[in-house]
Amino acid sequence: MEHHPLIGPVAALLGWSVVMFFWMYLTRIPAMRKAGIDLKNRIGGQGKDLDAVLPPEVQWKAHNYNHLMEQPTLFYAACFALILMSVDSKSAVYAAWGYVGLRIAHSLVQSLSNRIQYRFGLFLLASLCLIYLVGVTAGAALV
Amino acid sequence: MSHNPLIGPVIALVAWSIIILFWMGYVRFSAMKKAGSGLGKAKRGGRGQDLEGVLPPEANWPAHNYAHLMEQPTIFYAIVLALVAMSDRFDLNLWLAWGYVAVRIVHSVVQNTFNDLKVRFPLFILSTLFLLALTLHAAIGFIHG
Repeated sequence: MEHHPLIGPVAALLGWSVVMFFWMYLTRIPAMRKAGIDLKNRIGGQGKDLDAVLPPEVQWKAHNYNHLMEQPTLFYAACFALILMSVDSKSAVYAAWGYVGLRIAHSLVQSLSNRIQYRFGLFLLASLCLIYLVGVTAGAALV
Repeated sequence: MSHNPLIGPVIALVAWSIIILFWMGYVRFSAMKKAGSGLGKAKRGGRGQDLEGVLPPEANWPAHNYAHLMEQPTIFYAIVLALVAMSDRFDLNLWLAWGYVAVRIVHSVVQNTFNDLKVRFPLFILSTLFLLALTLHAAIGFIHG
């Protein structure tokens, strides 16, 4: 059986989120070691407590990981709604891939240079892709 | 083919979240402008959270609500789409799902305007009870289906 084409972008963004998970820890743990932070005796700390302790570039990866746990949840909901309604829309598939591509670029900007003009622009463009997807979803549900 | 009507509340809450995104942006950018700030002047790597204590509290309330909408509703989408995937057609679930969305919309309006905890918290509890009932029904459907 052929899978629904929207499974592709959903799997891609999940996969990218896993990449960011590793990027976050592979930079955070060495930085914590360097700062002399010992996990063994810590109780109740949160990742965001490290904002005051670690260099900003280290925390940027974590900021982006958190960001990926926010708006993309709407993206997954919209994609699964389209998949469960068996909607066949080429433009929705393009918009979904556009969303994923822009979010990957957004992650790279936030993790590396973190210039807000670029980051915000990418976020806005990705949001427009999402709005289009939600429009298609609403249109399909109302038909 | 007619769609499972449970898709409706999912779309409505996703769309409402996007409205809150714009509400947040509008209030935040207006407040930044008033404070003589802007994206061009923001420090490298800055985030929305950095505006806490910098902008007046009301200017950050829509951002708090947007963040809130990225939290618990994620499990609402999961459980409702699970019900759809199980071809659930139990009318009560449709009422519960629309109830969740309606209460979350009121919750957003409260948080973004007068933000009285005595009103906001009971709304949150009420919506959580709807979600709890949906989760129980999904679990029962899964076990007996």
